[in-house]
Amino acid sequence: MHDDIPSWEDLDGGEILPLSYGEDQLVLLTRDPYWLFAYWEFNEETKKDVEKTTRKPWGELEFALRVHRFNKGNKKESYYDIKIDPSALNWYIQVGVPDKQYKVDLGYYPPGKGFVPVLTSNLASTPRDNLSDIIDDKWRLPDWQARRLFWRIARSSLSSMEMMLHREKHYREVKRKGGLPVD
Amino acid sequence: MTKGYLALILHAHLPYVRHPEYAYSLEEKWFFEAITECYIPLLSAFQELEKDGIAFRLTFSLSPTLLAMMEDPFLQDRYGDYLSKQQELAHREEERTGGDPVFFPLARMYRKNLEHVSSFYNEKYGRQLVRPFKELQQGGYLELITSSATHGFLPLLSVQQEAVYAQLAAGIMHFEQVFGTPPKGIWLPECGYDPQFEEIIGELGLHYFIAATHGVLYASPRPKYGVYSPILTPSGTAAFGRDPETSHQVWSAKEGYPGDYNYREFYRDIGFDLDLDYVGKYLHPPGLRSNTGFKYYRITGPDNHKEPYNPQWAANKTWEHAANFIFNREKQVEYYGGLMDRPPIVVAPYDTELFGHWWFEGPLWLKNLCRQISGNQHLEMITPGQYLERGYPLQLSTPNASSWGDKGYYEVWLNGENDWIYRHLHQGARRMIALASDFPNAEGTLRDALTQAARELLLAESSDWPFIMTAGTMDMYARARQTSHMARFLKLERQIRNNSIDTSWLRKLENADNLFPQLDYRLFQPMSETLPVEREKLPAI
Repeated sequence: MHDDIPSWEDLDGGEILPLSYGEDQLVLLTRDPYWLFAYWEFNEETKKDVEKTTRKPWGELEFALRVHRFNKGNKKESYYDIKIDPSALNWYIQVGVPDKQYKVDLGYYPPGKGFVPVLTSNLASTPRDNLSDIIDDKWRLPDWQARRLFWRIARSSLSSMEMMLHREKHYREVKRKGGLPVD
Repeated sequence: MTKGYLALILHAHLPYVRHPEYAYSLEEKWFFEAITECYIPLLSAFQELEKDGIAFRLTFSLSPTLLAMMEDPFLQDRYGDYLSKQQELAHREEERTGGDPVFFPLARMYRKNLEHVSSFYNEKYGRQLVRPFKELQQGGYLELITSSATHGFLPLLSVQQEAVYAQLAAGIMHFEQVFGTPPKGIWLPECGYDPQFEEIIGELGLHYFIAATHGVLYASPRPKYGVYSPILTPSGTAAFGRDPETSHQVWSAKEGYPGDYNYREFYRDIGFDLDLDYVGKYLHPPGLRSNTGFKYYRITGPDNHKEPYNPQWAANKTWEHAANFIFNREKQVEYYGGLMDRPPIVVAPYDTELFGHWWFEGPLWLKNLCRQISGNQHLEMITPGQYLERGYPLQLSTPNASSWGDKGYYEVWLNGENDWIYRHLHQGARRMIALASDFPNAEGTLRDALTQAARELLLAESSDWPFIMTAGTMDMYARARQTSHMARFLKLERQIRNNSIDTSWLRKLENADNLFPQLDYRLFQPMSETLPVEREKLPAI
């Protein structure tokens, strides 16, 4: 607009976001009561070490995510492995159990041997998707009253996103019917 | 005797959009439309109620980025220009429709509305929109609260607790700089809550926050009164859960009030209906089809056939809908009151931008609601802050991780469209925390660079970018903003580390991404290194 106002590109100063940062990193995020999301990257040295130990190129190794489940009291409950593609950089993990804690290892299976973890994630929790079973006796409603209370609350719930989606649907319908173009 | 309380909460937020480098910015127009259609009509409605001696009580959340835009002289000027052009169009519309018994009165309505907006904005408040908010707070009508600095979606930033702390603390500090007092409560962006925040929320001295319905409903131990009494979280903060019934009545596009056939149709706008030769000059940018705000039809029915708008019919409807809303609340508090040892509180939060923009009659509905409720025997308007002062004993319980987004958790901000941003945001936070740790007492240019780095990181963290990527409209813009702020941060970080700060580029960045002038980069100091005593040395929150 004016000569003295720098452009968007000037402000970015030629910097471009890297695809990754070359660090050993495995981060676990909660998505909802049933799903987690993990992303990761490896340091080049780590990769070389693994290749040296296994005498196999990175791309030929068998990789897996080992998903550990803990209860809210940090007691280990179970684990399972998900085989993943060596080129993957992230994964949605269907853990399937709300109200638990999880930790994930990313590692490989050396030929004929057990799982070797390389990266370990932070802990992530899945939220509850229902009423808590824990009831404080000092704050207890008689059952019939509690049923009345919770039944009515559960009956109607709408999120703002649902409204947005509805509006978008409306917009698409209008367009499809050859109606008005809208912004 | 009061049978129940109604806590209406309006949350106003827009991402920080300011583009001096472009003659026109579609995104700045979000802000301009919100001023014309939402903020000023709402403020005017509140002032009329005050003038009429109606003792209403509302909670109004103003996000820090929105406050920063309201205070920015460049955007104030741009809005002034935008408004003049709108007024010019209003005059031309009066000429064009002159003599038409149906459309001329509608054109005149818009001309008068815009005249009012202009006199409110330019003359009465000298373009300082925070002033009327301040007045209404001082009058006891509004309880003003705020949100995290750039509306970052905190649950997905919480891998680094410092990032959550910095978002909240920077937001609270900015609010205090603008209004002179700290907010009593906080609007967690998108009601995004995770029990991991408890320590941080406790440290910030907040009295309350608003949670999604199931944030409180699924709290543990089970909340005795569901969402009809706040609970006390482990940090000693009250969590108020959203009432689902009031959301449904206003939000539901099918059964909700805004869909009434008498209300104004959003999708018929002269920006699309009239010849470009005529209307093109007033579009934003000129010549490109977009909404002007001049809409002459009512919703009429479910199909594309539209009848002209009748303001009187619509106004009558707002009165009816306000009465209906109150009737339903009376029934609701009667029902829940019968199960409780105290009057139930119905917490009804809404996005402010619904009122006036999407729902043209929304401000009038709200005004009628306040009018009808005053003097009501059974219902009392209240703010969460006032409710807490009544001293009802609160049940100790930990809320459930949740949000008010689609499906109730974090998926809107974490899915295949936007999950790539977290690798960068977490890396950015790690680096910013390290900077704050390595340079605890920077001065001069170094301090400026560190502060700007903090600003860029905060801007990259806005929940708006992943939200827009999910919604799929304007997603190019959201991607560009997200990556640019991240890139600017990374470059600054490298220059700080290499002791090679490009001062002239830094000054350009400071002028462009200029929000939160008093931001303190030390908010990112590592939690493990910062004792509570040391935190007190930071600007008071």
